[in-house]
Amino acid sequence: MEFIKKLQDLDRRWIYLIVALAIVIPLLIPFNAPTYTTSPTEKLYQMIDSYSEREDRAILICFAHDASTMAELYPMEVAILRHCFERDVKVFTLTFLPTAAPLINYAIDMVKEEYPEIQSGTNYINIGYKPGALYLPIVVGMGDNIAEAVETDAEGRKLESLPMMKGLTNYNELKLVIETSGASFAGGWITYARARYGVNVAAGVTAVMAADAYPYLQTGQLTGMLSGMKGAAEYEYLTDVFAAYSSDDYPNGRPFSKQVLKDKEEISKIDIAKKYDPETKTGIMYKWKTARLGMNAQSVAHMMIFIFILIGNIGFFIDRHQQNKEKK
Amino acid sequence: MKKQIPLLIVIVLSFLFALWAVIPHKVSEDFFQGYLVFARAMSPFGVILGLMSITMVNVTKIKRKAPTWQYSYVTLISLYLTAAIGFIWGTSEGSPYIWIFKNIQMPMSATMFSLLAFYISTAAYKAFRARSAEATVLLVAAIIVMLGQVPYGVMISPKIPAFAQWILDVPNLASKRGFGLGVGLAMTAVSLKIMLGIERSYLGGGD
Repeated sequence: MEFIKKLQDLDRRWIYLIVALAIVIPLLIPFNAPTYTTSPTEKLYQMIDSYSEREDRAILICFAHDASTMAELYPMEVAILRHCFERDVKVFTLTFLPTAAPLINYAIDMVKEEYPEIQSGTNYINIGYKPGALYLPIVVGMGDNIAEAVETDAEGRKLESLPMMKGLTNYNELKLVIETSGASFAGGWITYARARYGVNVAAGVTAVMAADAYPYLQTGQLTGMLSGMKGAAEYEYLTDVFAAYSSDDYPNGRPFSKQVLKDKEEISKIDIAKKYDPETKTGIMYKWKTARLGMNAQSVAHMMIFIFILIGNIGFFIDRHQQNKEKK
Repeated sequence: MKKQIPLLIVIVLSFLFALWAVIPHKVSEDFFQGYLVFARAMSPFGVILGLMSITMVNVTKIKRKAPTWQYSYVTLISLYLTAAIGFIWGTSEGSPYIWIFKNIQMPMSATMFSLLAFYISTAAYKAFRARSAEATVLLVAAIIVMLGQVPYGVMISPKIPAFAQWILDVPNLASKRGFGLGVGLAMTAVSLKIMLGIERSYLGGGD
């Protein structure tokens, strides 16, 4: 009883220490936890994949967050960009937040390192930062003409002069918008771009925001959704299993298949615990598995919180039982 | 005049935008194209206005020695120093502006957000108690959704993720939709009040 009472009054600094260890140790010692993909992630992956090698299709990633939510959202952006570069899908990147502009550059530069053939203006266009006051003019204006709505990219080049714009006019070709955010769920894109022009909208959100987006997901207003670190881990995983897959039958990635995801032998080939060897080019590069490694830490932290709740409640009930006894 | 002209602008434009949203006609499209040009020209003035506002608020705070007035110095120095560095050396990769972003802004933002994990854990331990039937339902739902988010949930029972998904899809969705409808109706009512000139508090003065 004395022990339970002591446990109830445990100094919060001990809890901080346990949580810190629960997060740091799994990051230092990586292990292979299974990744289960969910339907919203699969739908988004399949839609992007269907635009592979098409001149008349493109996607837009709107970075709507700053560095504070990078841990959850940045791996999503990297995974989506990797998928696009791997499968030759044209990408626009854009932000209405000045603090997100450098994040776009980091993400593109990080992914581009492994794809030397990818060229700015040909395979992707970074529109960069546009002031928030231009949100509505750009979101709605792109429904008529993308090159007129945003005019220049981050490097100051006229959009209409860039080779990637050949065959891309408006939302008839720019078929998918993905907003990554820690504070919204692509509501503006749904209200103005989807309702008026029928563009597909998807969201990449922090885990705490995900519950708010479910009504839009159920109605189909959101085509897909990546929910927190788990969503990012799922997308990384799908990219490894399909887009980055290489064999004699599929030299440039293979199509999405539920059967493959259920094949335990196939899945066991994805090993995130193994270090990448640059000489033999075996293993998965660290930057392609950050969310999955993060999920290891998150899983242990969730279990710790679960145990904390359990211990806290056991102590609470024993304490209450004792108080009732004393009253009698 | 000081209040009547802004009021007139709001009333006329709000009706025009409402009509533009529901009437896909050349006239309404031309109107919107005109607005796009105007909005582009207007946005830099918005930034200047914001800059003036934050400066005035913080300078007043320093002058009056209001509580935590020292932090106003931090705000103003950070704001103008970062802007000046951006103007002088540019904002491209390798510039001092990006150095500030990478080495000050990014770690500070990430640190603030990551502190949540520690607060949530302490709160879970110290305050998340099954004190009543409602609290117990909340507690059980939270644990199931939490376990459903991690691979261990499936290892404990393959039914946990499915049940977690059901919680998100059914009870969560029902309450979210209820809130959403309420907020939507309230927003419509407030918008109508503004459009009709009944709600005027945005003009200042409290009337």
